[in-house]
Amino acid sequence: MTTEQYAIPGLKNVLYIDLTNQTYHIEERPDLYKKYLGGIGVATNLMLEEYKEGTGPLDPEMPVILSTGPLSGIYPTCTKTVALFRSPLNGELGESYAGGHLAMSLRYAGFETIVIKGSSRYPVYVTVHDDKVAFRDASSIWNLSSAIDVGQILRRVEPGAGRRSIIRIGPAGEKGVTYASVNVDTYRHFGRLGLGTVFGAKKLKALLVAGHQEIKSPDHNAYKKMYGNLYETIVKTGLMEKYHNLGTSENILVLNELKGLPTRNLQATSIEGIEDISGENFAEKYLIRRVSCAGCPIGCVHVAMLKRPFSKAHEYETLNISYDFELIYALGSNLGVTDPEAVLELIDACEKTGVDIISMGVILAWVTEMQQRGKISTEETMGLKFSWGNKATYLRAIELVVQAPNEFYAALGKGVDYASKKYGGEDFAIRLGGLEIPGYHTGLGNMLGLSVGARHSHLDSAGYSADQKAFNQPTSDEKIVDYIIDEEDRRSVLNCMVACLFARNVYTYENMVQALKCIGIERTEEELKELGKDIFRKKYELKKKFGFRFENLTLPKRFFETASTTGKLEEERVRKAIEMYREKRGV
Amino acid sequence: MAKRLKVANPARCIGCYSCMMACARTWYDTISLKNSRINIQTRGGIETPYAMIVCHACVDPPCMRACPLGALTKRKGGGVTLNKEICDGCGNCIEACIVGAIHLDAEKKAVICKHCGVCTKFCPHDVLEMIEVEDSGELKVTDTSPVEDTTSESPTASHKELYGKKEPEVKK
Repeated sequence: MTTEQYAIPGLKNVLYIDLTNQTYHIEERPDLYKKYLGGIGVATNLMLEEYKEGTGPLDPEMPVILSTGPLSGIYPTCTKTVALFRSPLNGELGESYAGGHLAMSLRYAGFETIVIKGSSRYPVYVTVHDDKVAFRDASSIWNLSSAIDVGQILRRVEPGAGRRSIIRIGPAGEKGVTYASVNVDTYRHFGRLGLGTVFGAKKLKALLVAGHQEIKSPDHNAYKKMYGNLYETIVKTGLMEKYHNLGTSENILVLNELKGLPTRNLQATSIEGIEDISGENFAEKYLIRRVSCAGCPIGCVHVAMLKRPFSKAHEYETLNISYDFELIYALGSNLGVTDPEAVLELIDACEKTGVDIISMGVILAWVTEMQQRGKISTEETMGLKFSWGNKATYLRAIELVVQAPNEFYAALGKGVDYASKKYGGEDFAIRLGGLEIPGYHTGLGNMLGLSVGARHSHLDSAGYSADQKAFNQPTSDEKIVDYIIDEEDRRSVLNCMVACLFARNVYTYENMVQALKCIGIERTEEELKELGKDIFRKKYELKKKFGFRFENLTLPKRFFETASTTGKLEEERVRKAIEMYREKRGV
Repeated sequence: MAKRLKVANPARCIGCYSCMMACARTWYDTISLKNSRINIQTRGGIETPYAMIVCHACVDPPCMRACPLGALTKRKGGGVTLNKEICDGCGNCIEACIVGAIHLDAEKKAVICKHCGVCTKFCPHDVLEMIEVEDSGELKVTDTSPVEDTTSESPTASHKELYGKKEPEVKK
């Protein structure tokens, strides 16, 4: 049925799902959407409403909030969904984004935001087929060894092919590894900060959303024109060429050349043999197809084919594995692995268990250095001997971290911060804000961005971009601080839409204002900018409630020992920049 | 000169759904995947290639023969033209079309491809193309030159105008 109402004001609801009682209800919240548009704005405010002081990340009352934005499913590349939760990894603000088919499925199911609360007594999966929500027993798919296979089964038993999204966890989420991810439609993820762990604690194996509704825009001609403009900008101007061509892994060679690619647990920032794990080499030798998130004409999901022999009689198994810059850093350079096929196999192992690959990579790197320094023995590792580039050991270790057969592996399943506090080696446990670092050691901008960022992610502010600019042209530290602040606010607005950040230069403030106007939402550029600042304040309010204190921010020595793209960093300088940021931000 | 839609390069589909959105936007004035006259479908999630379910523009359309009311008439270039006024939603055409290219909309009217080509304008990967055909719908020989070189060195390879390499001046 075509809804009589036009697009956005038709969507003002929040779907509440209660896993404890297996009930659901819908609340009309036009006030929230009116003020915060959607996405991170709405989710942050809902979390502030829902959070009861003292509730732990894995307590049943702790909600998971999934939210899309006013442009989701409406305009090209607005394909993301934000998940807000309390992170079981660092106890702090859990904020993660995923693409795939989720945003479009939610939009066409008629929901913009879902709040999941409670926990089930037995494993369940929840389906949202348009306006109907159902709870189904998932006992038979609990304990499956692969998060990928969960999709295969649910695709068969549930309707809605091609118009649905299936998000699910693997064994890591079930077993409580604190950095478990949620797999979204096989090739996308809510990767960081442990949403999969929260799903596991709630005994929520999977969530399926399928939508078939139609939406009207208030001024169809204006909408058509705007869609056309944005589409043309995306596919014809070159703004998105990087993501379409080699993808993010284009940066492997670039960062290696700039000496900013963390290598062997950040003991170095470039590695010999980099060509083999470059985006160029993956594209030439292994890339077989590209896929898109629903509603995006780019196709940035790079899928590689790994043909692996398993007998002498020319018998092969073929694996399709998606790869990306961060994965090649985490399981490649930072582990001293420069064999591309080994990187693919390691990615595949992590995908099956359902863990955040960046965190897993950093943890394995830390273990390797710990063992080399004699700080842990083969007793703790149950016989495994870690060495750089040793794929076979790493493959087994990934399994053992999830299975947690002894105290040591159980500690590894709680993150590098936890493990290093227990076993030592904190100085070279490369994490900021309790989160294992992404693949950049470019200088002040990066380190500052990760330290102060609301979720300690490179996606908070892309501080490495500030460093790249500083590399080309001397820039004052204050300018770098200002860059981080502006970028954080801009991204907060984009995350209300929820546009893919790869398209951030397409969705300029000007274009966002126009795009909103064409679907009946009036906002000025100034109002959007103010919204960004407001969201920042709200997020910090939340962070504070979750226990974040600048005073407790650890800056491991390793960051100051290894030279970055822009030279050796001094702790003093970073601390000063953090102070400057706090002063300007008033936090 | 009659034209019809053709799925020229199915293996190049990235599943962006831009074509379906364009169809629904153009002919149903809606933002949706529903009531698109073409259907891009998954077969094994996004792990396996997409399927394109598109009207084949039959020379002798079974859907037309199956319609008891004469709501479907032969289109120049193959396929049919629907007279919505006459259609009563009996669904016989849907059964007659083994391709699966027809469905009913909310008002119980058949949704059938017009071969207008708007979807091809929103396909970034040359999956969909408009081709020239005889008025009868029979295929026409239009090209006798060697097939196009699509290797990356070829100056005429597909994508030549897409995702342009030069960064435009960003407006401040």
